[in-house]
Amino acid sequence: MTAILSNTQLRDVGSAPRKLTAGLPPATVLLSFAVILVVILWSLIPGLFTSLSPVTGDTASKLAAPSAAHWFGTDYLGRDQYARVVYGTASSVTSALVAVLIGLVIGSIIGLASGFRGGWVDAVLGRFVDVLLAIPGFLLAVVIVSSLGFQTINAAIATGVSAVAVFARLMRAEVMRVHSATFVEASYLEGGNRLHALLGHVLPNAYRSVLVLAVLQFGTSILIIASLAFLGYGDPPPASDWGLLVASGKTYVTAPWLVYAPALVIVATVLSVNRISRWLRNAK
Amino acid sequence: MTGDYRRFALTRAGQAIVVVLLAYVFTFLIISVLPGDAITNTLRDPQHGLSEEEIQRIVAFYGLDQPVVVQLLLSLGRFLTGELGFSLQSNLPVSQLVGDALPSTLTLATTALLIAIILAVAIAYGAQYLPGKWAAIVRSIPSFFLSVPNFVIGLVLIEFFAFRLHSFTTTDPNSPVATLFAAITLAIPVSAPLAEVLIASLDHESRQEYAVVARSRGLTEARLFAKHLVKPSALPSVAMVALIVGELLGGSVITETIFGRDGIGTVVQKAVTGEDQPVLQAIVSLSAVIFVAVNLVADLASPLLDPRVKLRESKLKEKV
Repeated sequence: MTAILSNTQLRDVGSAPRKLTAGLPPATVLLSFAVILVVILWSLIPGLFTSLSPVTGDTASKLAAPSAAHWFGTDYLGRDQYARVVYGTASSVTSALVAVLIGLVIGSIIGLASGFRGGWVDAVLGRFVDVLLAIPGFLLAVVIVSSLGFQTINAAIATGVSAVAVFARLMRAEVMRVHSATFVEASYLEGGNRLHALLGHVLPNAYRSVLVLAVLQFGTSILIIASLAFLGYGDPPPASDWGLLVASGKTYVTAPWLVYAPALVIVATVLSVNRISRWLRNAK
Repeated sequence: MTGDYRRFALTRAGQAIVVVLLAYVFTFLIISVLPGDAITNTLRDPQHGLSEEEIQRIVAFYGLDQPVVVQLLLSLGRFLTGELGFSLQSNLPVSQLVGDALPSTLTLATTALLIAIILAVAIAYGAQYLPGKWAAIVRSIPSFFLSVPNFVIGLVLIEFFAFRLHSFTTTDPNSPVATLFAAITLAIPVSAPLAEVLIASLDHESRQEYAVVARSRGLTEARLFAKHLVKPSALPSVAMVALIVGELLGGSVITETIFGRDGIGTVVQKAVTGEDQPVLQAIVSLSAVIFVAVNLVADLASPLLDPRVKLRESKLKEKV
């Protein structure tokens, strides 16, 4: 005698005990997304996270250690360091975004042009990319920002220019890879033109690796812009870019939290960004 | 075969020279064409106390009263003969400024490179041979190293080893211990990409059939690592080390500032604050020369390190 199993029961046998978290990314990735969400909220609505001002402080409580009232302590003017970090987020994050956009757009155009046109266009643009790679990235950023003037937006532009080469190389490689694929050749046979091959085949296929690089580059840009701000090549105080906060905090040896708090925020942000990028790369 | 190699070497060398020259032009354009008339500003700055005669001499030397193209050609011509011009700030020859600062930076960068290689090999070895959980932790180290800004590493090291443990003093930044810590600061972010390349390459090689055969012959993992896995991993690693050189040069700007060392990084910083164009131009172009030269050597060495490279090259040629 065999028991008669219903269709649904049969199906259940195959996918036995499904965990509640099965479809979710790993915990570290979720945590990374949470960190990034907080950072985004800090930059969009800083007022929601702190009632204290980042610019004016109570000099009576200067250089106070972290406490319930001042999570990250206070600086030499009695300003709340947590408020300074929160209000400095917008500029730190936006400038990194601008940098990625510059690198992404210019780099992609160069990569697409050299991949598609080949020949002398490829040779000329290839040498240009070689040149960008030959000058150490940070040095290039320093020279550009010193030419444009010491402002955070210029630091962002400089960081973006030094990222052009990696995007150009990736995009060129993607175009070469997809362009020689049989299905693209077939689309030409069907009467498709280059624009069609670009929009219909190359970009959709390149999208994932370019996205992974863009996310990774966002983390790198935060580091480079923080480094430029640390050297004093960004907006001057009372701006409170993360790198600038570390730089101004390092003078006060007795108040190490002034350095550690913004430093931890930078590390947590970049670590999260890198984790997300790695997850995107490995996810199918 | 040797004829092939010679042609390959010559082509690469030619490309390298072209890239260096273009890098010089590119830097020149960034410095002089972008907004901000730095040279004239600097010259007219009363703080420099230059007489009208001196200003005229400098203007004539750099061709400042002529179109940019002429200035560029003047400058490029001098660069080709090894003449780097004069600092606008100190009136010293740029070659002297660079020459004085170079030994300090070279010491720092070479030490950092050594530390980075040791760190990367240790990480890759750990990722390969430590038991499961530990290997996973070791594997995530490069990603962590890549997330910590250079200046934070430096400040933390100074805080703990100089201020708390008194291993070195910041007032004597050139002492061996201080140099070691500065080098560690510079090495940590740089070791990360190298470790990643090594890990990937070891993963790949240890899955190959020859590794399985060697294991079946009874080779211990340590001997397998030393005898069979290190050599094929050398090629991507050498390429990565060559790429890292650029980062070492850029990173020295921050590291030298934090540790108070006098080196190329400090010269760059002073030149940036003082809008000292000739100094910036010289250092950026020299960095490009170093980077391109190191990569050329790595390129030329790769067929010698791994015969398969040469094979692939000649196969390509057969096709064409």
